[in-house]
Amino acid sequence: MTTTPSIYVDNSATSFPKPSQVNEAVSSIIRSFSLSPGRSGHRFALKASRLIFTAREALADLFNCPDSSQIIFTSNVTEALNLVIFGLFPDTLQPGDHVITSPLEHNSVMRPLRYLEKTAQISISTLPLSKHGEVEISALPGLLRENTRLIIINHISNVTGAVTSLAEIGRQKGKALFMVDAAQSAGVFPIDVEEMQIDFLGFTGHKALFGPTGIGGFYLREGIDLRLLKMGGTGSNSETEEQPYFLPDRYEAGTPNTLGIGGLAAGLDFIKSTGLETIRAHEQRLCHRFHEGLALIDEITVFGPDRGRERAAVISLRMAGKSESDVAQRLDRDFGIMVRAGLHCSPAAHHALGTFPEGTVRFSFGFFNTEEEVDTCLLALKQICKQ
Amino acid sequence: MKKTICVIILQAIHYILKAEQLLKKEDIHHDIILVPRQISSDCGMAIELSDDDVDRVKGLLDAARLEIVGIYQMDNDQTFHALE
Repeated sequence: MTTTPSIYVDNSATSFPKPSQVNEAVSSIIRSFSLSPGRSGHRFALKASRLIFTAREALADLFNCPDSSQIIFTSNVTEALNLVIFGLFPDTLQPGDHVITSPLEHNSVMRPLRYLEKTAQISISTLPLSKHGEVEISALPGLLRENTRLIIINHISNVTGAVTSLAEIGRQKGKALFMVDAAQSAGVFPIDVEEMQIDFLGFTGHKALFGPTGIGGFYLREGIDLRLLKMGGTGSNSETEEQPYFLPDRYEAGTPNTLGIGGLAAGLDFIKSTGLETIRAHEQRLCHRFHEGLALIDEITVFGPDRGRERAAVISLRMAGKSESDVAQRLDRDFGIMVRAGLHCSPAAHHALGTFPEGTVRFSFGFFNTEEEVDTCLLALKQICKQ
Repeated sequence: MKKTICVIILQAIHYILKAEQLLKKEDIHHDIILVPRQISSDCGMAIELSDDDVDRVKGLLDAARLEIVGIYQMDNDQTFHALE
């Protein structure tokens, strides 16, 4: 029996493989010292604290945050986005207030927003999409109201790879707070919270930042207080039964995922030594090659930005006469190609693209994919078309 | 002559490590220690350094906007008294 080689092109779900230094860091950390930081004060606890400090500093550097204490760790980006949205409610984001978002949001934003819409009369406006599947930022000033408290934007669509200009939104945000979901972009596209006037930035560790799953976080602009949704041990101010007022401890109750943070630190180190531009250029080269190849297959329709327009290395497609799940299953079973079919937890995006409820077949390339793998994907799609 | 020891307390381990980064850069001799029980029952860490460096370190921490919770000096009988 021959074994089909595996081709992993589901990097928008989670990156694979991880850089070898990430694998080594995780293995070394769990073997070498205990993982509870900032509590006991012995050398292992101090080592764990230093590891977390290093990761926080590296993230602050990556996003140009003025102070690394404003980076808060969570278990994933969904938790980060939830802590901010519900943390703003009801003091800053009050019942009856207005929120502007994009049609390309993930459910980690849409579900909390719809919940607040239903239970607290928050009203939601959605920016329109252009014919290229890109968010029309020019419509933003017309949507802003006196009570617009929050603008939430997905930097890179996890469905189409469309890129939204954060700097442009930041310039036009008015008095509203600006929150960004950087799940797909952190580690590939430059993000500068100062220049882009971002007030909250949610990120995940396990996608383009190359860390393990179970670690994410958010940047919080200085001076903004969130309602506490978690309280508990921080290793600081232990004599009081009140949550500390200072960051990052205020929002980080309980023992953190030291192992995940250690892996993330190694991933951030890999990005720094490789270069964000190098990573993005490689991924975009692969994406461009794939997109060009797809254009030659009549049965395939690609959604999102046209060839030549800026996009992340994510391509959503449909094959005439074949269901999305069937294409994905054949790619996996017959060719060893791993993709994601369906709605990608973003029904709003699929509604906007006209691909709801069936969804699309999504290919998402990562830094460790090769041109040969892209060509194998194209060949496999051509063969499935003929079947 | 034996140097007088001082202990600086900051809010949390994050700030202790931030301070450590600054002190290393400035080549100021220091140690990270458990907060002495005579000072506080907090389970955190503190910076131990020579009395001679306290003013300079205070300036560095202020410039970096690191809030100083307390500065203590060790007396001959090993007890601490607050400098501020």
